[in-house]
Amino acid sequence: MENSKSIAGEEQIIQDLLPRKLKSSGKVLVYILSAFCLVGIYAYYRQLRYGLVVTHMRDYVSWGIYISNFVFFVAISLVGSLITAIFRLAGVKWGSPLTRIAEMIAVAAIIFASIIIIVDMGSPERFYNLFLYGRIQSPIIWDVIVITTYFFISILLLYYPMLPDLQILLRFKEKSGPRLHKFYGFLGSFWKGTHKQYLLSRTAINTLCIAIIPVAFTIHTVTSWLFATTYRPGWDSTNFGAYFIAGAFLVGAGAVVVAMYIFRKWYGLEKYITLEHFDKMGRVLVLLCLLYLYFNVNEFLTPFFKMKESEAGYLNDMFSGSFAPVFWFAIFTGIILPIIILLFKKGRKPLPMFIVGIMVVVGAWFKRYLIVTPTLLHPFMPMHDVPEMYHHYFPSWEEWAITLGSLAGAILIIVALCRVFPIIPIQETINEHHETAK
Amino acid sequence: MKLLNKILFGSLSIIFLLSGYDGFAQTADKGSLSVAVSYFNVNNQVPYVLVKVKTKVKGKFQSVGGIPFKLFLNKDSAGTFIGKVVINEQGEAMALIPLSLKKEWNLTVKHTFIAAFAGNTKYDSTSTNLTVSKAKILIDTASGRSVVATVMELKDTTWTPVKGVDVVLAVRRSGGDLNINETATFATDSTGKASGDFKRDSIPGDLSGNIILVAKVLDNDSYGNLSIEKKVPWGSKFVSRANDFNARTLFATRAKAPVWLMVVATGIIIAVWAVLVLLVQNILKIKKLGNEA
Repeated sequence: MENSKSIAGEEQIIQDLLPRKLKSSGKVLVYILSAFCLVGIYAYYRQLRYGLVVTHMRDYVSWGIYISNFVFFVAISLVGSLITAIFRLAGVKWGSPLTRIAEMIAVAAIIFASIIIIVDMGSPERFYNLFLYGRIQSPIIWDVIVITTYFFISILLLYYPMLPDLQILLRFKEKSGPRLHKFYGFLGSFWKGTHKQYLLSRTAINTLCIAIIPVAFTIHTVTSWLFATTYRPGWDSTNFGAYFIAGAFLVGAGAVVVAMYIFRKWYGLEKYITLEHFDKMGRVLVLLCLLYLYFNVNEFLTPFFKMKESEAGYLNDMFSGSFAPVFWFAIFTGIILPIIILLFKKGRKPLPMFIVGIMVVVGAWFKRYLIVTPTLLHPFMPMHDVPEMYHHYFPSWEEWAITLGSLAGAILIIVALCRVFPIIPIQETINEHHETAK
Repeated sequence: MKLLNKILFGSLSIIFLLSGYDGFAQTADKGSLSVAVSYFNVNNQVPYVLVKVKTKVKGKFQSVGGIPFKLFLNKDSAGTFIGKVVINEQGEAMALIPLSLKKEWNLTVKHTFIAAFAGNTKYDSTSTNLTVSKAKILIDTASGRSVVATVMELKDTTWTPVKGVDVVLAVRRSGGDLNINETATFATDSTGKASGDFKRDSIPGDLSGNIILVAKVLDNDSYGNLSIEKKVPWGSKFVSRANDFNARTLFATRAKAPVWLMVVATGIIIAVWAVLVLLVQNILKIKKLGNEA
């Protein structure tokens, strides 16, 4: 009797968690995102046709919104290592329904981090020279190596835990359709769930979880070194690696919270992504906010206290000058307000959490913009005899279109992955169900 | 009403006609140019003439560019035409004495250089001249590291020493000329000689320790600007400091990366990618097990 109850429970879990076709609202979202991507592609065509002159990047601001966006993507991709690896190794069981969402976000973000860095190149057809003539002494090469490595680890970390789910998906040919069925068969028809297969898979996942943490730390530390090894006001900091990592975990966790809320609503996953998950993610988020606030204080308080002449222009511009509205918006929206909201239990309910997640992500995007641009507008040597427009930077429509297109593209990848694969690991949920039943 | 229209039409016609009349307009005052001509003889080679032009703007002299000048030797005629020059943005223009004027040049020991500007819409015409006697300067060294310069003037057909000419004795450096000692100028004696002791012993020279001594007569009323150089091995030998251009450094080329960095970086890359390759192999193992089951 109990056995049949358990089987019924299993079937219910499978039915609940199988990938589903997009609803009309989902289709509308896909059309809108595709439209953004197409406009971005057209803008990139213009950039290729006429050169980087279509952007508003000039001699001083040579890293603009593209590099800000690149740093943002790299940051957000770190969530894969936080939720999947750190939680798993630390024995945090409640995080398991969120692992696949985190990995999907990580894969999508790292793909677009790689794309956007090529977009920033004036002559992308010469990209291969980076491999032919790249210097191992350059942090740019370190970044290329580490991003490629992180991408492969993320793909493997998405794939391995999915093997048992693929076996389940293969049972539902009518629901998935012939094409997807063939695809599932290609990816995982060999998984029979034998003890030996399970052991090999478990060892691989544990190895990946251990490997991804140092690689994840390296990827963002190296990204921070792209700045910190360049002698500029605001970048000349030993705090940068840790500052970037803390910010990355925060924005990644924020993105997971947003995704949790949306998928829970769309697919009716209230049973699997519960209020407890939101509450606990809220606690994680507030901890990360406090950590990031601490690094921000470190990053800005000491130079502000000293006010070295070479850095005064940059600091004043950030605190009270032309960048002040964006700076204080990023600090308050991305860090302070989330801390205040999340400290209260009511603030850790799904809807407030969703809003906080959006605030964190938006604040984080602007924070990356502030890391790149104000510094470039305040070089150590004064700007002399340059056109007036060199003193300012506001992205051109092509830059905005490409950036928004890349953000839309990353969301499209997440939507596509969710359409094809289960958002919540099915087999893992069944196993937990059995353990709870015992 | 008709009368009013006529008055209005008549008034407008008068205003229209007067608007084209500029009889009351004042003609703008033209600027005046301040012109200076200098004569140069460097290393007793082909002499040249330098024209400097300035104008006063709001009480201050400023250089003027784009002004064409005609230069003549001794008299304003086609046969003594040195050349036409246009003043550059720094307010200067120079012209070598052409070979065609060799005969005219050898005729006398004293020459007058004439610079003439025909005038334009902004500046009045002007001309100025400079008369110099033919002179030359020689440089030599004496024992005890002493520099001796001799100034001579051509009188009839004989080079005659000149007394009382101020000579600068210096050593040529990349940023300008450095006097050989604390004395700014040395006056020539009755033999036309001016000498000074070289007190710049530690000065760096080229790879062989050579430095260039220079003797100059600057803006002399009779002889213009004369200068001559001589290379002497009085400097300290230039020893190129050990450069690390070809060393293995963080800022060297790809092929010159530090060994420790290559070992560490390659080690990490190989270690991580070896794990990834093993994990891919692991998938194949799982696949094999699945096919066997």
